[in-house]
Amino acid sequence: MNMREDLKKYSDFLQKIRRYFNDHNVLEVRTPLLLNNPTTDIYIDSISTTVNQAINAKSTKYLHTSPELEMKRLLANGSGDIYQICEVFRDNEQGSQNFNEFTMLEYYRLGFDIHQLMDDMVQLLKTLGVEYRVSKLSYAQAFFEYGDIDILNTDFAALKVIAKTHSLSTDFEWIEDLQILLFTHLVEPKLKDLPLCFVYDYPTTQSALAIVEGEVAHRFELYMNGVEIANGYDELQEAGAYRCCFVDEIDKRSTLGKTSVDLNEDFLLSLSDSLPQCSGVAIGINRLLSQIN
Amino acid sequence: MANYSTSQFKNGLKLMLDGNPCSIISNEIRKPGKGQASNKVKLRDLITGKTLEKTFKSGESVEGADVMELDMQYLYNDGSEWNFMDPDTFEQYLINDDAMDDVRGYLVEQDMCVVTLWNDNPISVTPPNHVMLEVVDTDPGLKGDTAGTGGKPATMNTGVVVQVPLFISIGEKVKVDTRTNEYAGRS
Repeated sequence: MNMREDLKKYSDFLQKIRRYFNDHNVLEVRTPLLLNNPTTDIYIDSISTTVNQAINAKSTKYLHTSPELEMKRLLANGSGDIYQICEVFRDNEQGSQNFNEFTMLEYYRLGFDIHQLMDDMVQLLKTLGVEYRVSKLSYAQAFFEYGDIDILNTDFAALKVIAKTHSLSTDFEWIEDLQILLFTHLVEPKLKDLPLCFVYDYPTTQSALAIVEGEVAHRFELYMNGVEIANGYDELQEAGAYRCCFVDEIDKRSTLGKTSVDLNEDFLLSLSDSLPQCSGVAIGINRLLSQIN
Repeated sequence: MANYSTSQFKNGLKLMLDGNPCSIISNEIRKPGKGQASNKVKLRDLITGKTLEKTFKSGESVEGADVMELDMQYLYNDGSEWNFMDPDTFEQYLINDDAMDDVRGYLVEQDMCVVTLWNDNPISVTPPNHVMLEVVDTDPGLKGDTAGTGGKPATMNTGVVVQVPLFISIGEKVKVDTRTNEYAGRS
């Protein structure tokens, strides 16, 4: 195929996404890419750069790793439903499916829970020509079915024993890292026969910025043929809840000896009016395309 | 011996695993969106020859194995040990008969082989891809209905049995591929 046809195909694909959101009254927004604070996410590193804001006034800025926090500022200030298609940047990425720069589609729907959001994603994907069989599995079901592990009721020590029998590393500080390793190596390969599979309700240890209810966090991921495509949450609302998460992540980064990052007070301040009840999801556009073509 | 971090992993790197020296065959990195990267590594155990798989978290470090591969000349077998010589240093190495299981039948005196040393001790020998062996026993060729049989078994002077064409007779020298144990022509 020639260059022009390739570009046309990609352009059409983006047009369809925009049309879908336009039809559903979700506004396209742009948020800053160059930020004052790096991400606190434990295993994601921001790319930093030095800028001159005036002569002899150098300061360090960070390329965004995701538009999440900047979009949440908009949500907290009354934006309503919004989406954004943008490039994101991550340092120290490794692996055949990971890149320092990739395209993300992130969107938020007010009043939705993750199950409504998953249904909405299926509709969006349909308009993009993806009409594959849809599977939905809770994280616990996936682990039980494909790894024979009762993940919500297995402690760190017992998981280490299981990991050892599968020749997997056990050298971890926290149980969630071992849960993730087991998921990646025992469960994910089994998802490759499922063209469109939502995994939802993660252990509270992997709540990230999702609302926790009982023994699970209302978080989901979309896998297409075993490839991780999207990650969504019932979003935390109160500034205090975000503060707790950030402080925990900053602590963990320091335990692992990673570059230290400051608490993003600007963001917390902008949540003085808390986030409306909403669900949001980030979709890797490049990976999605690779699973469609 | 130095330790190697997962970021230094590459094919052919020699590591110690469960007490045995191993060589990396492949190294696949996986990084979940929310979570730590891991390296899924396939290795060959240089002692047992078995392939194994192990997954490390990224950044983990593993003890390197002091493994060297040297070109050496095979000299002779004294019944229990096999004698090799480093042609540069003239240093001689004795290899125990146990380590020779797969290659015993392909060693021809004076041939250059690759000897793998672990902590300076030989652990395995790789013979040349092709060796010249002498047929010491085989049925006389061309007897009766032989069409389509593709050949006949022949015992070589080293003890190994190779399928050879029907026209080969005792006393002839033939070329054998040591990787496949197949006849590869006449001298």
